[in-house]
Amino acid sequence: MSMIPEKPPFKLLDILYKKEFILFVVLVSILIMNSNISPYFLDLYNLIDSTFLFSEKAIIALTMTFVIIARQIDLSVASIIAVSSCVLGYTTSLGYDTWLVISLTLLSGAICGAFNGAIITKFAIPSIIVTIGTMSLFRGLAYSFLEDSYYNKFPKLVSNLGGGYLFGYIPYAFLTFIILAFIFAFILHKTSVGKKIYSIGNNPDAAQYTGIAVDKYTFVLFTLNGLFSALAAIFLSGRLSSVRPNIAFGWELEIITMVVLGGVYIYGGSGSILGVVISIFILGMLSFGLGLLNVPGVGIIIFTGLLLILSIGFPSFIQTLRRKNE
Amino acid sequence: MKKFLTNRDFILFSIIMIGLVAVGFANPLFVTPSSISDVLTDTSILIILALSQMIVILIRAIDLSVASNLALSGMLISLLSTVHPELPVYYFIALSCVIGTVLGVLNGVSIAILKVPFIVTTLGTLSIYRGLIYFVSDGKQVYSNEFSEDFLSLIHYKFLSLSFLFWLAVAVFIIIYILLNHTRFGRNLYSLGGNPDAAKYIGINENKYIILAYSISGFFAGLCGYLWVARYSVASTQIAIGFELTVISACVVGGISVMGGVGTVLGCVLGALLIGLIRNALPAVDISQFWQLAISGAIILIAIIINTKTEQRKEKTIMVEN
Amino acid sequence: MKLELKSISKNFHGVKALQNVDFQLKENSIHALLGENGAGKSTLVKILCGVYQPDGGSIHLNNQQQTIFNPAISLSLGISAIHQESVMFDELTVTENIFIGNHLTKSNGLIDWALMENKTKQLLEELEANIEPNEKIKDLSIAQRHIVQISRSLIHDADIVIMDEPTASLSQKEINELYTIIRNLKKQNKSIIFISHKLDEVMEVCDDFTVLRDGELIKSDVISNTDKDQLITHMAGREVNQIFPKNNVTIENEIFQVSNFYKKTQFKNINFNLRKKEILGFYGLVGSGRTEIMKSIFGITKPDEGEIHFKDQKITITKPSDAINQGIVYLSEERQQLGMTGLMSVKDNINMAIMDRNSQFYIMDTLKEIKNASAMQEKLNIKVSYWSQLTQSLSGGNQQKTVIAKWLSTKPEVLILDEPTKGIDVRSKSAVHEFMGELVGEGMSIIMVSSELPEILGMCDRVVVMYKGLIKDILDVKDASSEQIVKLASGES
Repeated sequence: MSMIPEKPPFKLLDILYKKEFILFVVLVSILIMNSNISPYFLDLYNLIDSTFLFSEKAIIALTMTFVIIARQIDLSVASIIAVSSCVLGYTTSLGYDTWLVISLTLLSGAICGAFNGAIITKFAIPSIIVTIGTMSLFRGLAYSFLEDSYYNKFPKLVSNLGGGYLFGYIPYAFLTFIILAFIFAFILHKTSVGKKIYSIGNNPDAAQYTGIAVDKYTFVLFTLNGLFSALAAIFLSGRLSSVRPNIAFGWELEIITMVVLGGVYIYGGSGSILGVVISIFILGMLSFGLGLLNVPGVGIIIFTGLLLILSIGFPSFIQTLRRKNE
Repeated sequence: MKKFLTNRDFILFSIIMIGLVAVGFANPLFVTPSSISDVLTDTSILIILALSQMIVILIRAIDLSVASNLALSGMLISLLSTVHPELPVYYFIALSCVIGTVLGVLNGVSIAILKVPFIVTTLGTLSIYRGLIYFVSDGKQVYSNEFSEDFLSLIHYKFLSLSFLFWLAVAVFIIIYILLNHTRFGRNLYSLGGNPDAAKYIGINENKYIILAYSISGFFAGLCGYLWVARYSVASTQIAIGFELTVISACVVGGISVMGGVGTVLGCVLGALLIGLIRNALPAVDISQFWQLAISGAIILIAIIINTKTEQRKEKTIMVEN
Repeated sequence: MKLELKSISKNFHGVKALQNVDFQLKENSIHALLGENGAGKSTLVKILCGVYQPDGGSIHLNNQQQTIFNPAISLSLGISAIHQESVMFDELTVTENIFIGNHLTKSNGLIDWALMENKTKQLLEELEANIEPNEKIKDLSIAQRHIVQISRSLIHDADIVIMDEPTASLSQKEINELYTIIRNLKKQNKSIIFISHKLDEVMEVCDDFTVLRDGELIKSDVISNTDKDQLITHMAGREVNQIFPKNNVTIENEIFQVSNFYKKTQFKNINFNLRKKEILGFYGLVGSGRTEIMKSIFGITKPDEGEIHFKDQKITITKPSDAINQGIVYLSEERQQLGMTGLMSVKDNINMAIMDRNSQFYIMDTLKEIKNASAMQEKLNIKVSYWSQLTQSLSGGNQQKTVIAKWLSTKPEVLILDEPTKGIDVRSKSAVHEFMGELVGEGMSIIMVSSELPEILGMCDRVVVMYKGLIKDILDVKDASSEQIVKLASGES
């Protein structure tokens, strides 16, 4: 058997260039900065509570990562949250059993996702356009249904899940996110499913010619995205205890930011769950820290937008300069 | 003859006409001249933005920041007008355009020079520009009584019983029509979008065109910033939220392909008119405003699907059957 | 001397694409630029077209030194090129394609459509082409597209026209028309650089020749001083028999039958069979429908009618994985776009079609992956340094071997190869042929689509000749003559 090595000789310096390492350094810097800025930062309870603000988005970011690596994008996730939340509130108001309520909510999300997937695969329309349409359609359905009013009665389990803690310490939403992160990381990096997703994202045509069922995978990924949006909706509704049709407005941008900031290439084919997880913490700690400084929410939004653009623009600019000098 | 009947623009036009007739049956007041004039006025801003968005879509990109751009430009000139109400309105219009253009140039530079993909750039600036509105205005609104008479009245001049706003949209239509069909710049946009590698090979400078396209989009967004504020007599952090989606839908319905290089100016306008018709027709036939969003979304999807079916690249004919 | 290149060199990441190459183009001449793929011809052309800058040497046009910074400058200097791949805009009209980048304007700066259309009409009439100025390129045939490209160079008043494989997909009639156009161009004081691997054509049409090999100038002279065999020797660097290595293999019974395959506007009445250990060729002009048939067999597209029988059983193939599971695989002609995933590793590419076999409960077995990759690497002699190396970093020949390795990993019985040696250097080409012989020796059966007649005649047992979506005939190669096959492929009976 020929002895071809798997990788080039390991150089410690190579780690320095890895996206995940750079992200990690950024995270640590933010943690240090935050702890210097405010004495309230390193308080354990505060830190734990800060996870509430990003856990629901983080859950969706995991499936969104798969979608983007597969060279697609889904702008309708926030609208799916709206639909699912409506289903949650409505089925509760009908007096259904808790588990039926939850199942129907999850189902509604999956159906929305499947709708996306069906149109994208059957008509071969770019996902950015389809999901721009369904973004309006789904949110619109929520508005048509609820109009001016709101739901504020949910099953006890849901309220607990949304705002409660396991063993009194660990928020359920955050815990779910962490467990899912491990599962998704395993799927992406250790299974044939993950490899196929990379393959589809890198060269969908070649993947098809290799016998990979590209359309089937695309459909499933969008359905999953919808399902997990519904899951997030359950936690969110439970936490907020009130659902209006404008729930989660603008969340799709934040979720996509989490993914792209985490080093996943927007045009597909590369990226890791680890990078996305670190980026979620970066954004979370940043919001938390700025919040402690009483920077208004708007400031955080501007900062996040800048961070997103510069995180891609700055390295690429340096690269162009380097190339010009060669 | 068949070619004419299956021509996309003709089909759009027919749908609009049929729609008008249908709504007219349900609500005859809707098809009176003054009502139609209102609809046209209401759709004018959408037409202007759709035409400028078309330029960006032609080169296989999208500008998601137009609504935020519009709102920010509008807010900035409104704030200025509260401090200097004596300045002539043309000053504010020009300033709004300049601000919009600068915001557009920033997009272009980010995409062309920093190589940040357009989706990421315009998603980012969508947030940044919208956020800056809060910043400059402290979250407060500028109310109609704070504007000068001059500032607000221009919009309402009527010529031939149609509003200034409408004639402005006509002017923009003519300008963009000439730009895209009778200038090298316009034709090169089509080729850059249709076959980017070939276009670059011939010497068309992709970066230059990207920056110019986004600058033009920004310019008109700035212009519409003034128009919007003047029309609704208020400047706030909430204006035009989500409007970029309406603009893009108008283009898509109008036959501008997101794959680039395909689309007519007439089609774009018709697409905007159709969307405008729907927005105005729904209240006229007593459909609650809450259904607006869902119906718009559905229309977009249907239009895209029809689009794609007709656009589908026919396989090259190899064998001729006898 | 119209054009002179002195000592041109060009490096790419340490690979010497061109080394001190001299080239002289006389006025009013048709000059053949010859060499195998990878010899440096396309690099030379790209330098002339301003796409690359030479690292060393100088370019002289009409005895004046020039630097060709970019394609626009190349055009302004009077150099224009006609490529195989389309530098055309499908959605735009003939008129626009001819004037692209150089629209004529009126004094007020706006485009002068009337003038452009008139000029276009004039040109098309001169070239005796049956094309309307307002037709969109996407509606034209390949021959017509060539004519539009030629028109483009005439509009630019180009003195130097570079033609890269201009007759690749033309029928004999269209080829003769093209030769006439070329000779007319010569009469109009233009000089032509003619790239072709059809040596008969070169001998007939050209005045001078230059042969490149491995980036170096091998020989430059007038055509009358040489012959086909000498040219071949110059190009390959050794005595090469154009007889291809083929094992003596006893062909067995039929194992694969395609009956009544029909797809609207693509192909009709397609009936053929494949015997075990046979190499069945599919010959025809580019665009004759061969690839479309293979795509339907493999499950990428669906035929409107037709049946496939494999090992005496009717099988249904609706998607590629059906075919692969049956043991039928398809190596596409478009290696970069459809064969390999450039940004994934060589190991992943080799194992890409057997991911399910390499995994247990979906979990990847890395050891199995490496074991298979190593076996394939040895068998095919793929030159790679690390398994994690990106496939796009390999040479063309090694990329093709990787793709072949991918398919062999599935342990197929029937291999459909679509232009398997297109665009690779002569050494790898010969290796692929030898390898094909080995495969049939081991019991596989091969369908080979090829547009190179020598390859068909050298490698195949029988050949299916196609023209415009129909099978003209199926011949035993040993009984057939080149003239007969070419005639059938051109539509003449």
